[in-house]
Amino acid sequence: MAARLGRHHAIELWLGHLRRTPLLLFLILYTVVTGGPFLWVAMMSIRTTPEIFNDPYGLPVPAHWGKFADAWTISKYGTYFWNSLIVVGCAVALLTIIGSMAAHCLARYRFRGSRFVRVAILSGMILPPQLLILSLFQILLQFGLYNSLPGLIIAYVSTQLAMTVYILEGFFAQLPQDLFDAARMDGYSEFEIFWRITLPIGMPAVFTTIILNFIILWNEFLYAIVLLTDDDKRTLPLGIMHFMGAHQLDVGMIATGLMISIAPVILMYAFFSDILIKGMTAGAVR
Amino acid sequence: MSVEITRTQPNPAPAGASIVGSRQASRATIAAFLGPALVIYAGFIFYPVLRTFYNSLHSVGPMNVTTFVGAQNFTQILTHDHTFWRAVGNTVTFTLIGTVLDVLGGLLLALCLFARAPFARLLRVVWFTPVLMSYVVVGIIWVWLYDYDWGLINTILRWLGLGALEQSWLGDPHTALWAVLVTHLWKWLGFNMIICLAALYALPEEVLGAAELDACGWFAKLVYIIIPMLRPTLINLLVLSFIGKMMLFDLVWIMTDGGPLWATETVSTYVYKRAFNWNTFDLGYPSAIAVLWSAMIVAFVVLMTRLLRQRDRLEF
Amino acid sequence: MAVVTIDKLRKRYDGAAEDSVKDMTLTVADGEFMVLLGPSGCGKSSALRMIAGLESITSGAVAIDGRPINHVPAKDRDIAMVFQSYALYPHMTVAENLAFGLRRRSVPAPEIDRRVKDVAARLGLAPYLARKPHALSGGQRQRVALGRAIVRDPKVFLFDEPLSNLDAALRVTTRNELVKQQHELGTTTIYVTHDQVEAMTMGDRICIMDGGAVVQIGRPLEVYRNPANTFVARFLGNPPMNLLAATLAWEESGHVVRVPGGRYPVEGYAPEDLARFINGPVTLGVRPEDLYESGSGAPHLAPIRTRVVTVELLGAETLLILTAETGEEIVARIGRDSASHPGDIADLFLDTTKIHLFDPVTTKVIPRSR
Repeated sequence: MAARLGRHHAIELWLGHLRRTPLLLFLILYTVVTGGPFLWVAMMSIRTTPEIFNDPYGLPVPAHWGKFADAWTISKYGTYFWNSLIVVGCAVALLTIIGSMAAHCLARYRFRGSRFVRVAILSGMILPPQLLILSLFQILLQFGLYNSLPGLIIAYVSTQLAMTVYILEGFFAQLPQDLFDAARMDGYSEFEIFWRITLPIGMPAVFTTIILNFIILWNEFLYAIVLLTDDDKRTLPLGIMHFMGAHQLDVGMIATGLMISIAPVILMYAFFSDILIKGMTAGAVR
Repeated sequence: MSVEITRTQPNPAPAGASIVGSRQASRATIAAFLGPALVIYAGFIFYPVLRTFYNSLHSVGPMNVTTFVGAQNFTQILTHDHTFWRAVGNTVTFTLIGTVLDVLGGLLLALCLFARAPFARLLRVVWFTPVLMSYVVVGIIWVWLYDYDWGLINTILRWLGLGALEQSWLGDPHTALWAVLVTHLWKWLGFNMIICLAALYALPEEVLGAAELDACGWFAKLVYIIIPMLRPTLINLLVLSFIGKMMLFDLVWIMTDGGPLWATETVSTYVYKRAFNWNTFDLGYPSAIAVLWSAMIVAFVVLMTRLLRQRDRLEF
Repeated sequence: MAVVTIDKLRKRYDGAAEDSVKDMTLTVADGEFMVLLGPSGCGKSSALRMIAGLESITSGAVAIDGRPINHVPAKDRDIAMVFQSYALYPHMTVAENLAFGLRRRSVPAPEIDRRVKDVAARLGLAPYLARKPHALSGGQRQRVALGRAIVRDPKVFLFDEPLSNLDAALRVTTRNELVKQQHELGTTTIYVTHDQVEAMTMGDRICIMDGGAVVQIGRPLEVYRNPANTFVARFLGNPPMNLLAATLAWEESGHVVRVPGGRYPVEGYAPEDLARFINGPVTLGVRPEDLYESGSGAPHLAPIRTRVVTVELLGAETLLILTAETGEEIVARIGRDSASHPGDIADLFLDTTKIHLFDPVTTKVIPRSR
């Protein structure tokens, strides 16, 4: 009886594994499909274009690390990188300050019209960019901010403000009101309360929005392409496209540029993958 | 004997002092906190939207020369603009099929990880990576993958002996839209997967246990228990995916620029072209397209949520 | 007929340092209401889930009517379970919830209909059949969960702390309802709880578990009156049994247990059992209800000197919280009124026939021979 049971169990196990094999194959396949292209670009970024055309999928055996320096200077990826950094850095800084203040206000205070303001600001999250971009173009032109980094910075702040306020307000609203009542009784001013209580305790959420905003704006394309035309003002995505347009066949150099663009994102992802994943999916799970 | 207790009236608060109450603050405070955000919102969101509506009823030439044309832009778009309708057709097809595949695919991937796959945590991270990449990176990589001569897709087909199936994926009007769709899915499946995965983990374990005792195999559990309980999440994802695809610009711009022969032209790319790449500079017309399209998106979303929404709450 | 045999059941979770269930051996007779009782984390729920098939078995065997079910999938074990959170399908109506398991088993529709109506009538659910769970109260949901189990007419019912989410008043009525249903149906039942009142009132037999191991099995009153160790002694009974550090001595009159503040002759022990404790420490156990304020001259009552800390007048009875001369706390349960006041030195009286002696090292009871 025991032997029969043992064999039965063994068959069960084996069937279990069999059932899992297609699953495993699928997992491997999808992982290759997802990660493969990046690996490929990484490899191409340190090969020269002739090498690539000779053997598109070969290993970067003579690894030309110098291409990065070339890309930075000769192909102007350095300029593009700095532009991106300036624009995104300033935009994220502004977003953090303005967004957290607004979120704190909406989360903590009740006042006439607060519901309206909240709906208004959050509706910005689902607004189609087409409704905005043409007029934004006009406005910036009017104020001489067209084709300028400050103009793009302000535009970026406006695009991400809604999401920032949404995430931060949700978090700030969960902070216990008792903390704030106690602080008031201790004589703190409203601004001090914001600075010393909301921000420090809300740091995880603030940090999340910083990282999210950085990545989203770092990759942003549409607004940049509408609002910038000068080559030296181009942000990285634009720069790569421009380069691609002019040197379509220089695959190696394009790949190097792509890697420069990907690098900060991968860096952030490596350290903050949990935060990123949670942040990007905030609010979509009911 | 009653004792009279005299109450003294508290002094009325001097004007401008901070308001009493746990959640009250003075007007000045609120203005200080909310002000910058409201200014940005008013100037860069509210006003532009109004301006777009305004523009749509005008012809806006260079140097801001504006002439009122009433509904002319709209009638022109709806009756004479074949490119617009082509773009609408492309975008709607792309969106309807893409959204379903997007959400189903995300659910499928999430189920794979939920079914206790090995290395689930690592896979989760890897599968999410394309979501974080810029459209420029994703677009260019896939342009290369689709390349006729040395792209990976055709190379693999040749290697498998299926050389006859080789295509110029992005160059052939019949395949271009689908090729772009595959790329778009590749980028976004990870997002839907993460959300579905979180929703799956939020399912109460005991209900799944009860289902097992009620003679549910994995398939029955999926169909009768898991998917119905995930309904709010799935609807959310459908709406998000829908809106994202209806507004598609970046990927098309990078991969095909709307070609070949308008096969991948979307409404967004058309708006851009009409605004900046047309022989006559007129912002009014593309503004009208934008207004029309936004209205259509809103209508679609309202219709969808109304159809799919549950009548009662799904509390658990 | 459904006899559940559990033989040396063990469970160790992946990466755990210890077994969660240790060598559990138990037989539940046909139609018996067996209660698994123990504090949280004692392994009773794990054991239940292993019987249900929702948890894998590390080693040991579970059998129903002699047929081993270790490798039988949960759905084929002919077992129904009522979960602590009721686990109703939130997107289905009550009727659909009840019918779901039967539908999955391809029971013909008219039969399903009949059974659902029967169960609804039996449990008073008929007016709620079209409602969804979120529109029901806790008590109603609990009945639906019970109905879902009954409608399947299984060999065994498993209950996992089904009453803990109900408020106190509802708990009492539902308790009685459950027992009544089980008696009418005659289905073998295994019921897990941490509430000793439920165990005492509902079980035909109770099985006490602690730290994964079975500590004692028996009828409720038997276990109450003859606890196997100090853990059981203190777990059953509210307020719990008082345990005092004492010494055992042999005097001409017989064995005597001494505490500072009193000496008590003990009878009914075989001399061999007590031999090794003589002139050494023992643990003296006496239940609060076996302490009296006045001796009334009865021979089996012996005094114990205590100091009153608190007097809790509860109306129907009084609880005296006292300190013994050793400094240990003693709780006594006496009549409606008490003459004592906090701070008094009181001489309470102990019923020496109701004393329990425990080995201070192993905590096991020293058994009486008669």
